[in-house]
Amino acid sequence: MPANLRRLIGWEGLLLCVLAFVVVMNTNLAPAYLSLANQINLFQLSIEKIIVALVMTFVIINGEIDLSVASVMGLAACLVAVLFESGTPMALAILAALLVGALCGAFNGFWVAYVGLPSLAVTLAGMIGFRGVARILIEDRSIGGFPEWFTALGQQPLIGPFPLSLILFALLFVLAFVILQFSGVGRLIYVVGNNAAVARYSGIDTRRLKLGIFIASGLIASLAGILLAARLGAVRGNTAEGFELDIITMVLLGGVSIFGGTGNLAGVGLAILVILNLRNGMSLLNVTGNVQTGVIGMLLILSVLIPNLAQMANERLQRRIAPRKEAPIETESSVSS
Amino acid sequence: MMATKRHVSVSIGLIIALLLAACGAPQTQTPTAAPAPTSAPAPTSAPEPTRAPDGAVVTATPGLNIDMILLPKFLGIAVFDQANEGAQEAHAELRNQGKLIFTGPTAENSVAGQIETLTNAATQGVKAVMLSNNAGDQIAAAAQAAQQAGVTVVTWDSPIPSAQGETVFVAQVDFNETGRVMADMALSILGPQGGEFAILSASPDAANQNAWIAAMKEVLKEPKYANLKLVDTVYGNDQSEESYKQALALVDKHPNLKLIMAPTTVGIAAAAKAMTDEGLCDRVKVSGLGLPAEMASYTLSGCAPQFALWSFKDLGYLTYYLTYGLATGQLKGVEGERFNAGRMGTYTIEKDPTRPKGLRVLMGPFTVYTAENVNK
Repeated sequence: MPANLRRLIGWEGLLLCVLAFVVVMNTNLAPAYLSLANQINLFQLSIEKIIVALVMTFVIINGEIDLSVASVMGLAACLVAVLFESGTPMALAILAALLVGALCGAFNGFWVAYVGLPSLAVTLAGMIGFRGVARILIEDRSIGGFPEWFTALGQQPLIGPFPLSLILFALLFVLAFVILQFSGVGRLIYVVGNNAAVARYSGIDTRRLKLGIFIASGLIASLAGILLAARLGAVRGNTAEGFELDIITMVLLGGVSIFGGTGNLAGVGLAILVILNLRNGMSLLNVTGNVQTGVIGMLLILSVLIPNLAQMANERLQRRIAPRKEAPIETESSVSS
Repeated sequence: MMATKRHVSVSIGLIIALLLAACGAPQTQTPTAAPAPTSAPAPTSAPEPTRAPDGAVVTATPGLNIDMILLPKFLGIAVFDQANEGAQEAHAELRNQGKLIFTGPTAENSVAGQIETLTNAATQGVKAVMLSNNAGDQIAAAAQAAQQAGVTVVTWDSPIPSAQGETVFVAQVDFNETGRVMADMALSILGPQGGEFAILSASPDAANQNAWIAAMKEVLKEPKYANLKLVDTVYGNDQSEESYKQALALVDKHPNLKLIMAPTTVGIAAAAKAMTDEGLCDRVKVSGLGLPAEMASYTLSGCAPQFALWSFKDLGYLTYYLTYGLATGQLKGVEGERFNAGRMGTYTIEKDPTRPKGLRVLMGPFTVYTAENVNK
């Protein structure tokens, strides 16, 4: 099919080329890169971010943004720590943190979906507010000393060489992929992201859909926060601070339009692989943090520029070709240089 | 639909602004042009070799081949560059055939970045990491994993609070002594009538800062310091701009404030600049731990009449000697072990009085800088 072909040489194709380039470079320059341990580390070091990136894809395709995810992660981590410290059984503390995460999402979702406030403003408030609550809970301290089973889940392999968080990511990726690309709900998310007004007039309950997505975002973010607490073994008020930008970066690099309605999880999956492998390779080569940030930043700039330049070039090409063929829909072909 | 469009464009603007802010931050740090203050009082009063238990002083065999990483809290801070100079000096002296790599994260990514470097060190086959910890106990799991993979983890400048995952900590000075030196400087600046003062620290989770502040609070309980009143502790995260703002905020918040004590080289320079810029030097003095090269003008102008520091170059040098010995198996990393640290003489691994489970090597001593010796 031509559509499929176009996709192959489109954004995902480009990401695939970049990924192949990064992998080849890494393999040649860093001998340890291909080892299984390193491949697992590569995911494990950013696992919480990439889990949240999955749900962020839903949010952005739906035409919204959630800046509060990192603060929800921090809040969930701090809540687990504080509850545990005050004698609550760990399992109960985890459930409470998940519940609070979902409530944070519901709070965001309510203002966005039912009151109609822009998600940028609402979740920006959430980003500051939820972080504030986390800091109040834990103040300037750092809490650790969690039960062994909890930190073991975060740090040790669970099945074969794979830790729990990596298995969770794989499951969530498949689940998210099926929902977004193959289910009716997934199609609704695209429709609403493309044009919320039209969707509403066609009888779709956009409000419930948006609320549901924000609740999912809060829930997954709190899960990620708990996983982070287990991996690090200690929590403080600024845990996960600033992660939202890395997460949104991954989604945008994956070809998801910030305007909503376009993009898919295959692209986001590839973008995640590109960023993680790039970071890992640079880290193995002892490239400093400043340069790493610079390289990732350049990649993002290019990812914004290239599609737009390509589109402009494409349009110009179309215009030139159109008059020669019998331009079926072309109506404004008056512009010719 | 129009509304959504507008929201979206606002969103994009904001996100870009956020991204730019994130990218811009590291560049605002103090430039690193400061020459090392090595000419300052050399540690000729060599740290007394705490009475040797049996066993001789270990002098490491030079010329072995091990890769080592010197990992500061983050890059772009003058003192960490000086520590690197010292480590490179030791690296050359010991003729290590391997590499000494100086790398670190950005300030915003410090915790995750340090964990990443430590984790990947094991993968790369690096034999030792010398860490100035900025992640509190959040790095302990990664440090333990690295140790299990055969990496020697030595901390310097700032330890792992629980001591988990760390073999030995190289303490620049005795943490309790830091508290006393700061209290003494405050007393000598404010005089016997005393007054209100505030602390401008780095980050709330920097173990060294917290230990010094705690030690100072302990010393302040003595009757001699009864008139010194600590009214506030704020954090500038070792970022110049943030520390500058925090210093000014302190003055606004406490009208009777007479002194800002900043136990961080970034904080003290920023505070002194803030007071100088706003013409507040007559009212509020600045003191703490600072680099002579950065502080000289403020000390001569009387804005920061006294400050203290040790040599970071020596700290890097000593840390390297210890780590080389440990990573090559010539030192075991047990209490009472003595070793030779090149030009700096003999040191002993001892119990760390500030951390129940930790071991340390104490470097010392302190130098207090005034208008008399700041330019020497």
